[in-house]
Amino acid sequence: MSKSLIIAHLFPELLNLYADKGNIQTLTQRLRWRGYSVEVRPVKATQSPELESYHLVLLGGGSDREQALVATELYKQRSEWRAAASSGLPILAVCGGYQLLGDFYQLPGGDKVQGLSILDMTTVPGEGRLIGNIAVESELCGSIVGFENHGGRTHHNHAPLGSVVSGYGNNGQDRQEGVHHWNIIGTYIHGPLLPKNPQLADFVLRSALTYADLPADLEPLDDRMELAAHQHEWARHTSKVQKTL
Amino acid sequence: MFALWIAKLLILLLRLRGKSATSLPGKVAMRLSPKLLARLCNSLERVVIVTGTNGKTTTVRLLAAMMREETPIITNAEGANLTQGILSALLAASNWRGRLASKTALFEVDEATLPNIASCMPVKLLVVTNVFRDQLDRYGEIDNTIDKIIAGAAFVRGTVLVNADDPLARHIGLRFAGASKTFGFSPEGASMTGFDGVRDGAFCLQCGAALEYDGYFYGQLGLYRCPQCDFSRPHPDFVGHYSQGLLQFHEVGTPDTSYRVPVRGLYNVDNLLAAVAAARVFGISSEAIRSGIDHFKSPIGRMQTFSTSPQSILNLIKNPAGCDSVLTAICADPAEKVVCVGINDQAADGRDVSWLWDANFEQLAEFGRVHRFVVSGDRALDMAVRFKYAGVPTASVDVVPDLEAALDAALSAAQSADGLSVYVLTTYTLIHKAAALLAERRVADVEIAYHRASVS
Ligand SMILES: [Zn+2]
Repeated sequence: MSKSLIIAHLFPELLNLYADKGNIQTLTQRLRWRGYSVEVRPVKATQSPELESYHLVLLGGGSDREQALVATELYKQRSEWRAAASSGLPILAVCGGYQLLGDFYQLPGGDKVQGLSILDMTTVPGEGRLIGNIAVESELCGSIVGFENHGGRTHHNHAPLGSVVSGYGNNGQDRQEGVHHWNIIGTYIHGPLLPKNPQLADFVLRSALTYADLPADLEPLDDRMELAAHQHEWARHTSKVQKTL
Repeated sequence: MFALWIAKLLILLLRLRGKSATSLPGKVAMRLSPKLLARLCNSLERVVIVTGTNGKTTTVRLLAAMMREETPIITNAEGANLTQGILSALLAASNWRGRLASKTALFEVDEATLPNIASCMPVKLLVVTNVFRDQLDRYGEIDNTIDKIIAGAAFVRGTVLVNADDPLARHIGLRFAGASKTFGFSPEGASMTGFDGVRDGAFCLQCGAALEYDGYFYGQLGLYRCPQCDFSRPHPDFVGHYSQGLLQFHEVGTPDTSYRVPVRGLYNVDNLLAAVAAARVFGISSEAIRSGIDHFKSPIGRMQTFSTSPQSILNLIKNPAGCDSVLTAICADPAEKVVCVGINDQAADGRDVSWLWDANFEQLAEFGRVHRFVVSGDRALDMAVRFKYAGVPTASVDVVPDLEAALDAALSAAQSADGLSVYVLTTYTLIHKAAALLAERRVADVEIAYHRASVS
């Protein structure tokens, strides 16, 4: 296989909270174990993203200060971002990166930071942070476990990534977590997100491979360790018997 | 007086029942009388405080040993670095009328607690070891931590001593209005290779530009400079150089000295350097420093060696920077070894274990010469997955959630492979249990003295 799958890791110097490294490691290892060649391109805030050459974009979270810097940079290219996203560019956005996909997110002090308006979505501050383990049922990949830690409350008019079985989710009210629209997945779940959720990792990879015109029938891997970790956390935080994965 | 008596009584009761009284008496006394801390501090004359993310406990232990050579001191129990822990230490050192046994104190203080503590005692010296992102504080609040230390430093009536090699600690030193001094490694110890993990000090706190480095010691510690403003690593007032088990110590205007390094790992050499520099600022002679080092016993879980069969070395891990330092020290041990990692996610460990992915376990997989891995604790499976994605074959990893069984599995794997060393790494809520279990499994009465040079 000569063509590489190109993963863009946006602003690693600013958005490096919540172990984005774990998500990248999971995506790249799962491709390499299957014989794909993959290239991760760190895109710094001082560079402008070359959206047409990426097959998957990762957008992580940072502190308020760092995230505001990122928002300013992204906003300059908002029409390019909207065009790429609506034509199917796969985007995986976590925490702060997720909030940036909406119209705006409001800071606790009242200031509104403009988002990319790729999604019909807004984020406002709420009383206290929503912190803890979270378990979600998702139509895309069965179930998802992880950790959330966010002050913002997010509301949107799209399909969620899943419904909350245990934890808070988007806003602590509507029992929904994350978003799935076009090939965009946005979520508050880190921990990191992908290592213990191999089905979700493969779902993301399939959409990236399809978008890149590469063969997307992923061979199954030996995921016993990952699934054992997944089920262990699911059992600790929910009383619900899990469907067989 | 009432609060004092209740707390003293409580200390007595706890001791009678064989319990340690490191925090509870202080907690109770604080409830009864919020002013008690300030009242007890009235009779203190000289206080030294050590703060920072990593290395506080070891630095305090070393410095305490040096100070005790010259004067009795009051000090808090390891890790009891919040207000209640410091108050408990003062209560234990006071008589029933509130008189303290000594006028000199040395405290390890949590960064966020620093302003509260420093405001009510005569701090003559504040030592800032380093500032890293902690796992309990993962939502980008490192700026907040720095602000807290700066606010605490404002109460210091004396010297602030900071790590010159850490841009964040250096920034704190510059923001202090009084006299600040620095300690740091000599530049020849820096390297351009290794580590590219999260560097919290990547940006200049004076102007926001990305810092440039001419070399690194560990983590963000190194020879940094800002390309945009005049912020750069200073030439330290106290310079240390590690070679062959000795710390060569240079101080302007005095003859060079060298000290035996009683701890393993480069980051621990940095703690020794901090302690020696602090002792010098405090006016302690090099003879007293030397004999203090001889009386030092390494605190729990800081490269703590047990003469189990085969020998084991226990380490606390709690954030990526500290964990990476431990992993680097393990990789510097050229012998084959067994590694046992215990991860819990209770409140004191940090509920969020994502930091495991920011720590550089890849270096262990690649350069560690690890014969076998054992993972344990509530999050044993998370750790197993972490090792898998770091490149460790799943067949080399044993998942043993129960800590006692895990330690026995690690020791027996090491025994049957010709007596390899066992490195045990655990998070906070497993460390005391691990220390007790390893102590029970000691074959000799004497703890093995530090003997191997483990820092490259
Ligand atoms: Zn600068």
